[in-house]
Amino acid sequence: MSATTAAVPFWRAAGMTYIGYSNICAALVRNCLKEPFKSEAASREKVHFSISKWADGKQEKPTVRTDSEE
Amino acid sequence: MAMALAALRREGRRRILSATVTNPSPVAASAAAVRSSAVPQPELAPLGLRSISTQVVRNRMKSVKNIQKITKAMKMVAASKLRAVQIRTENSRGLWEPFTALLGDAPSVDVKKNVIVSITSDKGLCGGINSTSVKVSRALHKLTSGPEKESKYVILGEKGKVQLVRDSRNSIEMTVTELQKNPINYTQIAVLADDILKNVEYDALRVIFNKFHSVISFKPTMVTILSPEVAEKESEAGGKMGNLDSYEIEGGETKSEILQNLAEFQFSCVLYNGALENACSELGARMSAMDSSSRNAGDMLDRLTLTYNRTRQASITTELIEIISGASALEG
Repeated sequence: MSATTAAVPFWRAAGMTYIGYSNICAALVRNCLKEPFKSEAASREKVHFSISKWADGKQEKPTVRTDSEE
Repeated sequence: MAMALAALRREGRRRILSATVTNPSPVAASAAAVRSSAVPQPELAPLGLRSISTQVVRNRMKSVKNIQKITKAMKMVAASKLRAVQIRTENSRGLWEPFTALLGDAPSVDVKKNVIVSITSDKGLCGGINSTSVKVSRALHKLTSGPEKESKYVILGEKGKVQLVRDSRNSIEMTVTELQKNPINYTQIAVLADDILKNVEYDALRVIFNKFHSVISFKPTMVTILSPEVAEKESEAGGKMGNLDSYEIEGGETKSEILQNLAEFQFSCVLYNGALENACSELGARMSAMDSSSRNAGDMLDRLTLTYNRTRQASITTELIEIISGASALEG
């Protein structure tokens, strides 16, 4: 509570969005689980996609966001 | 010498018959002619037995049967995947419903910077769901772009990208693919939503996807998410947004902060639901598409079998006539 009462929340000042902030919180909570539940919850936070920006009608090099096999 | 003559006669007979027989397609007919004249076929029938080459039809029947097997298998796979995704989709609807209850939906809001987030699939063979969402996106793009306004695309999925590159490649801001390598989960979509929010300037985000109603019915749906500034303006103008003032806000946060957090969270929730709805629709559409294509393959197989049998019968009849007339010529 004390952190959020500041004029701008600390995570917003660090350039995070609310989604990023809540995601980190969620990951923390998942890490607190015990074993059979922990690995089950871990399967729900697999991230994999490839994103690419476009400039002047051309696709730029895609960046792959993934957390598996690396 | 006699054998050579017999072979020659056989060739001639074969060619005449294959010209008169109704073949399934001109390509097959010409292939049959080429095969019987140019390529010396290994003799399958015992010597002296005359028959038309039904090899082409038989091959075609085999390939149609294989295609039918594949489409049937794809339908089964789609059906079994659908069940799991459908449950998740229906559960995920609970994520955005509170937002609509709280903030309402403002599809007709007129702002400067529009970002159209169209959700499509990576894979094809799923009927018309990708074209539907592309069509809706295009119409929306036309509607929202004007002299002092601009509207950009953020495209999820390979198929939508391929279709939109053709005519609006200059409006594409960002594309995302390979979203469905793992089953869609909230964390993944949240990371993606985070990326989109950080890289795109917007006044209103419009998420377009196919909402899943049943296995055969999908409705293209648009959800509008306003940026915090626009949302604040709207709430001052009254309407559903104006009711926000009647809520007590805990902590020391101001209304604009709350609205910003809400808008971001709403976007990730809507995107999550949209991606799931679209995945569900994709599977449903694939199921029905594969169902009708295996039915078509069955129809085709029936027709080919009919042709095949007719040809076989015709050749048998011809042979009988030859034998009988030969015998009666000897007698007489």
